Amino acid sequence: MRRPRLADVTALFFRVGVTVFGGGDPTIAILQREFYRRDWLSPEKFAIAYGLARLTPGTNVLAFCAATGWYILGLGGALAAVLAITIPAAVLVVWLTRAYDLTLHYRLAQSIANALLAAAVGTMIGAALLLVRSQLKPGRWLKPIAISSGAFLLAFVVKLTPLQVIAAAAIVGYFWVEK
Amino acid sequence: MNIVVLYLLLVKATLTSFSGLASLPMVRNDFVVRRGVLTDRQLTTAVAAGRIGPGPLGIYVVSVGYLADGVPGACAGWLAMITPAFLIIPMLRFLGARAEHPRARAVARAVLFAGAGLMVAAAVPLAHDAITNPLSLAIFAASFLLIASARIDSLWVMLGAALVGVVAFQF
Repeated sequence: MRRPRLADVTALFFRVGVTVFGGGDPTIAILQREFYRRDWLSPEKFAIAYGLARLTPGTNVLAFCAATGWYILGLGGALAAVLAITIPAAVLVVWLTRAYDLTLHYRLAQSIANALLAAAVGTMIGAALLLVRSQLKPGRWLKPIAISSGAFLLAFVVKLTPLQVIAAAAIVGYFWVEK
Repeated sequence: MNIVVLYLLLVKATLTSFSGLASLPMVRNDFVVRRGVLTDRQLTTAVAAGRIGPGPLGIYVVSVGYLADGVPGACAGWLAMITPAFLIIPMLRFLGARAEHPRARAVARAVLFAGAGLMVAAAVPLAHDAITNPLSLAIFAASFLLIASARIDSLWVMLGAALVGVVAFQF
């Protein structure tokens, strides 16, 4: 894994904080892809951060940012990640609170926000595909496909919460150890 | 409203919830029902402002803080939003030495795959809201293909989508 500079980590989280719409899931999807592309974080550490973030009180994506920042650069990385991803969004939300009624009628802003949301959804599904594809190896394809498909069905059809789905996957993973 | 009380009320709500908007019932109970600091309409505005902009859904507590006490209140709301996130660090430190065990790695991989399935499940309702016409379908498809098949930086995908939004507005 490469060890980036604090400025690079801050820049990545800052930019994701201002460009990603749609909440925590698109944010995690985009960060995951950028971590792999830059070789900053292993899939195992991503998984631990992702799983534990669901168990942490508060906004899960912020716990995920603190965890990945901590893995990448220690406490400084965790602080930089959380501050960089929240400060621009916090400034914007104050502005939007003041301008809420105006914003509703501001069609250019709506047009841009709609386009960004569509892109965020495409990014989420693309990132999920990459996540599974990166783990497929000859003779080791069943577990990634079975667990990811099962998780989708449990969440989407059975309507289990993400925490319940992750707990189920952890139990399956505990007993299904590949040689 | 006293800024310390404001922070404590908001951090109580964020510390006792496990997702962005799950703190809303407690915030409403404290700010609208018990103390009358905000109206339901103001709380709705806070949630809507949080959803319009980028960032996590839990960002609405910044807006709640702002409506309760201006910019200092927004700072208290921001602090209440980020405080619980750092609880994950002691959890990671505890796991650190145990994470290399084969069974721990197998559990981590399973959680990783479940994460992929959960991402797609979370994308479906978002897609329902986001893909409403041929243009948004084209933006969705192009973003998916670029992210899944090319090593392009996601910033360019987002900026490209924003540019398409600007151009579409002109017509």
